[in-house]
Amino acid sequence: MRQRDLLWGLASVCFAALLVFLWHLISAYRLVAPVFLPPPLAAFNALANGFEDGRLASATAETLERIFLGWLLASVLGIMVGAWIGISAFARNYVMPTLELLRPLPASAAIPVAITFFGLSDAMVLASVGFGAVWPMLLATAYGVAAVDVRLVEVSRMLRLGRFSYLRIIALPNALPDILSGMRVGLVVALIITIVGEMLTSRTGLGQWIMLAARSFRSADLFAGIVILGLIGLASALMLSQIERWLLRWRLQA
Amino acid sequence: MTPLISFRDAGVAFGSKQVLEGLNLDIAEGEFVCVVGASGCGKTTMLRLIAGLHPPSEGVVSYAGQAIARPRPEIAIVFQDYGKALLPWRTVSGNIELALEAAGTPRAERGAIIANLIALMGLEGDGGKFPSELSGGMQQRVQIARSLAQRPQVLLMDEPFGALDAMTRQGLQDELQRLMMQQRMTVFFVTHDLEEAIYLGDRVIGLRRNPGRIGKVFDVRIGRPRDQVATPEDPEFLRIRRELYDFIRDTEREPAS
Amino acid sequence: MNWRGAILPVSVIAAAQFAATTYGIQSDALASPVEILASLLQALADGSMIRATLETLGAALGGLLVGGSAGILAGIVLGLSGVLNRLMTVSIELVRPVPSVAIIPLFMLVFGLGFRLEIAVVAFGVVWTVLVLTRAAVAGIEPRLLEVARVLGMSRAQAIWKIVLPSALPRIFVALRLAATVSLIVAVTVEVAVNPLGLGYGMQIAQQALRPEWMFAYLVWLIIVGWSFNYLLVRIEGIVLRRMNFTGPRR
Repeated sequence: MRQRDLLWGLASVCFAALLVFLWHLISAYRLVAPVFLPPPLAAFNALANGFEDGRLASATAETLERIFLGWLLASVLGIMVGAWIGISAFARNYVMPTLELLRPLPASAAIPVAITFFGLSDAMVLASVGFGAVWPMLLATAYGVAAVDVRLVEVSRMLRLGRFSYLRIIALPNALPDILSGMRVGLVVALIITIVGEMLTSRTGLGQWIMLAARSFRSADLFAGIVILGLIGLASALMLSQIERWLLRWRLQA
Repeated sequence: MTPLISFRDAGVAFGSKQVLEGLNLDIAEGEFVCVVGASGCGKTTMLRLIAGLHPPSEGVVSYAGQAIARPRPEIAIVFQDYGKALLPWRTVSGNIELALEAAGTPRAERGAIIANLIALMGLEGDGGKFPSELSGGMQQRVQIARSLAQRPQVLLMDEPFGALDAMTRQGLQDELQRLMMQQRMTVFFVTHDLEEAIYLGDRVIGLRRNPGRIGKVFDVRIGRPRDQVATPEDPEFLRIRRELYDFIRDTEREPAS
Repeated sequence: MNWRGAILPVSVIAAAQFAATTYGIQSDALASPVEILASLLQALADGSMIRATLETLGAALGGLLVGGSAGILAGIVLGLSGVLNRLMTVSIELVRPVPSVAIIPLFMLVFGLGFRLEIAVVAFGVVWTVLVLTRAAVAGIEPRLLEVARVLGMSRAQAIWKIVLPSALPRIFVALRLAATVSLIVAVTVEVAVNPLGLGYGMQIAQQALRPEWMFAYLVWLIIVGWSFNYLLVRIEGIVLRRMNFTGPRR
């Protein structure tokens, strides 16, 4: 059974390679103008060169840093406010409706507002990413913290846990599956808003990289940038699901 | 001698519905009291009054002369639904440690206490497992170990073996009996299994329903340790069993609500 | 929303207005609530806000149409064909994580600025979700139903048309609703980033012109539009699923 899965996986990889070869043929016979679609080899060379001379590497590093910082900010904020709302009836009654009101606002609408306050700066990107990515985390935490089984609430009452201990020992671990899925969505939002932010602020980063490449018709560089952004998306998703597997290992059993 | 737990004209009403009424009961230190009754008679509510999870609407429930207003450290509880009462994300040791954390036991002392309880409850080798890896009986052992970690004077048990199969149930009954003889704890044990109540209890309280009130009290004068084979054939056991069955059948003829 | 929920926003707005009228605002970043409301009403009256809204919604729904139908089609094919599905797995998983906005510059090269760009990006943004969920819906239908088809002697085409699609339809519809929410978000994002269309662009222009009252008017309007859009989607979903007698698990 495992062996068959492995073979299928291999076949699937070969199929992907076949698609890349098809891409090569298309650009080799100029079925699509190379301005739009560079040959795969050219894209790969652009990738290699970009990392060799360090420009692409530093753009990647800058982008990763912005994503991570914004996501971290959103996570800390989202989990804290979410925990407060989950545990406090006051917050649920008085604060939650306002947050519900703001929730359907597309995250990118925060960008012009952030520009007004912070100008075209890194702080602007950070603020936008933070605002955009905070919602999934906040709502998931609030939900998970409020959804503790009555029995566990009684257990914590019998053990006379204080409010803070209850949050730390019972409610937040109980919300962990929700928090993690919120963090996964938040990471995607952080990636998107970071790219847009870099496009607008023209600060070194992959967003700026692909924008400049497109404006000067360097399609190989453009594809190199898109490939890296795809890899960032893929790697971060894989990493988070590994962390999740480990943190939620008590769930996988039985 | 003052009783450890006492009910004085205690009652509970949920809205306009009187669930328990006019309860008067004294429980001495070290006594094993079982409560039985038809479903809906308020057995569990009575237990929750002692736990401090629910305040009486009238009258007083007190521990060592003090009215019980909220959960007290001297009183521990074991719920029937072990699956919901354990923290699924913590191992067996972690679940036992929960009670020690709550009590503020220094970290350095916890390991030895946990190891003791694990040995006491026959959980050797399972300390690192998650509840989802254990059978129902083993999970209930973990919950009992956790309540013992609280070093309680009073152990409240709400149909603790109700969800287990017969073999497991008998094994745990005997272990509970052994524990109580060792530790001299006071136990308040709610069950719907009449044989279990007589087998374990020094006293069996039969509740009437609608509203719930104490109907009949049986003193079980059978020596300990009791035995799963011999005790149910003891004439005293058989006598109480017959009376208890008659009593329960009688209460079930009363309207449910 | 009950009255308690209204206290916070109302008092914030009142405080802002009080501060604005008492101390006066000389700022390129802030505007008083009354000014914002006035700008909003003016923009609604002169039709510019309505036009921008229609542009944004048009691009979002256009992209949803393109990406949604492509996703449904591919999802059905992959869900039905075990071999093709397994062969495509790696390719799809490699392309799927590419963030929709990363594709903006490429599509700018291909389509230039305008509706076609925005529709294409939205389509790229929703197609994978729809594909994956449709594939799961088709692949996950009750095997008993397929046995029924075989017992009844149906051809493969008949079985697909009469059994597979109808039973996968509710879940496909749920996928489309999810995609619709995403489509509005992506459309506004494209407008904020580059495209001179719609509400996102309106906000950017107001910001660049240092007219905070206009920018906040757009923001307030976007909240209203986002709310109504989601409300409508949930209502439509409820009605359609009831029509389909969908009894499966709901959120």
